[in-house]
Amino acid sequence: MAEPTTARSWTAWLLAAPAIAYLTAFTLIPVGLLLTVSFWKSGIYGTTPDFNFGNYVRALAVPLYRDQLIKTIRIALTTTAISFLISYPAALYISGLKGRLKSMLVVLLFLPFWTSFVVRTFLWLPILGRTGLINQSLIWLGLIDQPLEFLLYNEGAVLVGLVYVFTLFMTLPIYLSLDKIDPALHEAANDLGAPPLQAFWRVTLPLSRPGIVSGSIMVFLMSIGSYVTPQLLGGPSGNMYGNVIASQFLANNNWAFGGALSVILIVVVLVGLMITRRWIGTREIFLGGGA
Amino acid sequence: MSLSPEPVAVSVRNVRKTFRGGVTALHDISLDVARGEFFSLLGPSGCGKTTLLRMIGGFEEPSAGDILIEGRSVLGVPPYARPTNMIFQNLALFPHLNVFENVAFALRIKKQSAAVISQRVEQALALVRLEGYASRPVEKLSGGQRQRVALARALVNDPPVLLLDEPLGALDLQLRLQMQQELRQLQRAVGATFIFVTHDQGEAMSMSDRIAVMDHGEIVQVGTPENIYNDPATRFVAAFIGSTNLLEGRISALDANSVKVDCAGMTILAAPQAAVQLGQPVTVALRYERLELRADGQVTGLVTDRSFLGNMVRLAIRLPTGLALYADIPAADATQVGVGADVTFGWAPGSPRLLAG
Repeated sequence: MAEPTTARSWTAWLLAAPAIAYLTAFTLIPVGLLLTVSFWKSGIYGTTPDFNFGNYVRALAVPLYRDQLIKTIRIALTTTAISFLISYPAALYISGLKGRLKSMLVVLLFLPFWTSFVVRTFLWLPILGRTGLINQSLIWLGLIDQPLEFLLYNEGAVLVGLVYVFTLFMTLPIYLSLDKIDPALHEAANDLGAPPLQAFWRVTLPLSRPGIVSGSIMVFLMSIGSYVTPQLLGGPSGNMYGNVIASQFLANNNWAFGGALSVILIVVVLVGLMITRRWIGTREIFLGGGA
Repeated sequence: MSLSPEPVAVSVRNVRKTFRGGVTALHDISLDVARGEFFSLLGPSGCGKTTLLRMIGGFEEPSAGDILIEGRSVLGVPPYARPTNMIFQNLALFPHLNVFENVAFALRIKKQSAAVISQRVEQALALVRLEGYASRPVEKLSGGQRQRVALARALVNDPPVLLLDEPLGALDLQLRLQMQQELRQLQRAVGATFIFVTHDQGEAMSMSDRIAVMDHGEIVQVGTPENIYNDPATRFVAAFIGSTNLLEGRISALDANSVKVDCAGMTILAAPQAAVQLGQPVTVALRYERLELRADGQVTGLVTDRSFLGNMVRLAIRLPTGLALYADIPAADATQVGVGADVTFGWAPGSPRLLAG
C-alpha cells in the first residue's frame, strides 16, 4: 500500500475543518469556560477568578443538591427503561411487516424530528391539567366528582412527558438493528430445534443489542439533561438537575456554582458512557456494528 | 439414526402449492427419496425446487397432498420438531456466535450437558475438517470454511435427512468443485439422506444418485444422472442437461427396428418409440459430442464458427439445406479444421433420440 501523499492528507484536513471548527466553537470553548468558571467565586458583585473547590464541596455535600442529582439519575434511568419496554415490541412488530404499512410506520418513527418537542410537551398540560382531558372525561363519566390533583406537577408527570418525547429515539435504532437481521437466521434457529420464543431469545435479541444500547444511551443522555419537560410538567416536586443549574445562572446569578453543577452532570454522563463502553464497544454503540 | 425397515426416507405425495394471489408454484408433485440416497432437485430458477425443499423442512405448508418423513406424515409439524436439518442458501450462520457455539446451537436447545456438547461439537468439526477453529468468529472465516461450519451445525444432531438449498452457489469454481466432492464423501460417511437443490446440471450430475428435473412446478423426469443424460424424457430435459442439437422433423418411415425422421431434408435414423406414427412431427435430440468427423459420415457441411473449449473444439456447421448443427470434436482431431472448411461427419447408430413434443 502506498503512503498517503501530502496532497491527500491536506484534503482530509480540509474536509474535516468545518466539523473541527464547529466542535471547537460550540463544544470545546463553552465547556472550557464552564470548567474554568466552576473553580471561581460568585458574589453579589459578580464572578471573580479566585481559584477554589468550594463550589464542588457544596454541590456534593449539601443534601439538597446531592439528592437532586440522585433523583435526576433515577428519572433518566426510569425513562430509559419504560422507553425500552414500549420500543422493543413496537420495533419488532414494524420490522416484521412488509410493504406499504411498514414504510408508513417507519416514516412515523421519524415523527420526533418533525416538530419541536417543547410544543409537544405543552400538549400534556391540557391533557393532565385540572380541567384537562383526563379529569373532564372522568368527571363526565361520573367516576370522580373532584378533579384529580396528582396528574400534573410531580415526578410522574415528568416521566410521562419524557417517555412521550424520547421513546421514538429508542424505537428507531432498535428497529434499524432488528431490520438488518437476516430472516433466514430465525429460520435456521427453528430448523435447529428452537421454537419461536427460544429462537427470539438466542438469536434475535442478542443481534439487536447494538440498537438497544445506542437507543438507551440516547434516551438516557437526553433525559438526564432535561430542562424544559420538568419545568413545564414537574412543579416543585418534579424538577430535575437541569432546572437547578438553570436557576443558578438565571435567578441566583451564581455562575460559579452553576458551572460546578454542570461539570458534575457532564462527569456523571461520561462515567456512565465509559462503563457502557467497557461492556460493549463504542464502535458498536454509535455505528450500530455487530449484526 | 434409527434403522427402521422403511426404505423410503422422504415421500412426497400429490403435493400442490398455491401461493396467496393464486400463483401455483407446484402442481401435483409425487416423489420418493430412498434412505441414504443423494437426491438432487434440478431445474431453472422459479421451477419450484426450493419451495419443495422448504416444504420438506417445514418452512412452507403444502396446499394439498402429504409429505412423509421416515413413514410419518409431517403435515402441520413445525421445522423445530421435524427430523430434518437444512443448509440455507446463504448458510445463515449466527454472526454473534463463534464456530463452536454455532455448531453447539442445536445441542444447547436440547439442554445437553457441557461434556456431551463439547464432545459432539468436536466430532462434528472433525467431520468437516475444521479442528482448531472452534473459537474463531464466523465472520473471519473464508467461504469454504463457512460452508463447513454450516454442515457441521446441521449434522451435529445426526439428522436422518439433510436438506441443502443451493449451498455452493456463492463459491468460486475451484472451491465449488472441491466442496462437491467433499459433500459427496461426507454423505457417504454419515449415511444420511441428502436432498440437494441446484440449478447447476453439472453439479447435480456429478454428485447425485438420482436427480429429479423440475420445470414450471412439475417434475419432468426422475432418474440416475446417466439415465437422464442419455435418455432425456422431454425436449426441456434434453436442452437443460448437456448440449444438444434439437432437430424438428416428421416421421417418414417406420418399422419394428427403426424410425426414419426427415429433418429439413436430412434423414435421421432413430430407435422406435412406442407411440409414434407415420407423419407425426417429432424432435430429434443429438448431443454435440455424439457428432464425429469421419470420411464415411452421413452428412457434409460448412464450418461457420469454431470455439476452443480445452479438451474439445465446438464447431458450428451449416448444411446445404440451411440446417445448423453444433459438434463437439476432441481437440486433437480438430486441429486442421477451421472456419470455412467443408467437413463430413456422422454419428453412431443409437445416438439420435426421439423426443415427445
